[in-house]
Amino acid sequence: MNKIHPVLILVIRILLGLIFIYASYDKILDPGKFARDISNYHVVPFGLENSIAIILPWLELIIGMGIIFGVYINANTFISGGLLALFIVLIAQAILRGFNIDCGCGLKEGEVVGWSKIVENFLFLGACYIVHQSKSRLLEFYPK
Amino acid sequence: MDIKLFKQVILITGISVLCGASFNALRDGGISWLAKPMEKINSTNNIELNIDVPSVREINLETALNLQKNGTLFVDARSEEYLEDGFIPGAINNDDTDALSDEIATLIGFDRGFVIYCSDDDCGSSEDLAYDLQEYGFNNILVFKGGWKTWIESGLDIEYNE
Repeated sequence: MNKIHPVLILVIRILLGLIFIYASYDKILDPGKFARDISNYHVVPFGLENSIAIILPWLELIIGMGIIFGVYINANTFISGGLLALFIVLIAQAILRGFNIDCGCGLKEGEVVGWSKIVENFLFLGACYIVHQSKSRLLEFYPK
Repeated sequence: MDIKLFKQVILITGISVLCGASFNALRDGGISWLAKPMEKINSTNNIELNIDVPSVREINLETALNLQKNGTLFVDARSEEYLEDGFIPGAINNDDTDALSDEIATLIGFDRGFVIYCSDDDCGSSEDLAYDLQEYGFNNILVFKGGWKTWIESGLDIEYNE
């Protein structure tokens, strides 16, 4: 990954961070709606969708800010990569079970689960990997 | 995972939990940490009860059918394009929630019960619309979870747009 120009890494970081921040916004404002979106996937037991809806959007917001401002980049890309892998699995199982449900991804209102969301998440996952593996220190304010 | 990375992951997660919990506790309309299942009612006799507390409750096919026969208002929460395949007789639909809210208020006011349905058990849009309409002031909303799929699989009457 060291062959990639540091400025390009920085651009990827900013875009990735903005995506996470943007995705968190509606979920923070309306956790009840996000909890229902999670519930529609039919994978979370014991009513825990509410707990996830309270915490996850803040995790996305903090990760996004960390990636943009260059704070704990490795940890932030590690968590975001884990989340994206989880989202891919959740969306795939929903598609395979025939659920025609709101994605709850937070990027576009009313977006339904589909293979395009999986491709999109793989692209974001790739971006996480590139930033995680990069040795660039351009505009990082706290050590990796 | 090395120790340093592990500590950073714990720190970031901990800060997120703290922020989420604090914001949820301090805001208007914070939610409980555990979701409560929607109350189910199995008889049309219970429809008008407890409306002093705004409610969104779940009904089954039998109750939905009885209510439809009694002339209760049905709202189809699917996108308008799906209505080309038909809808429950008498159901209204509007993708614009403001307009839909006005229409329901004009037809039955805010306290009479009405039924919302979508494609099937798993679609979720009936529940979303129910909670959206509750914020508009509707007090007695019933969600027919089985929705369109259960209705047509049971061979019940349907209506088409002309």
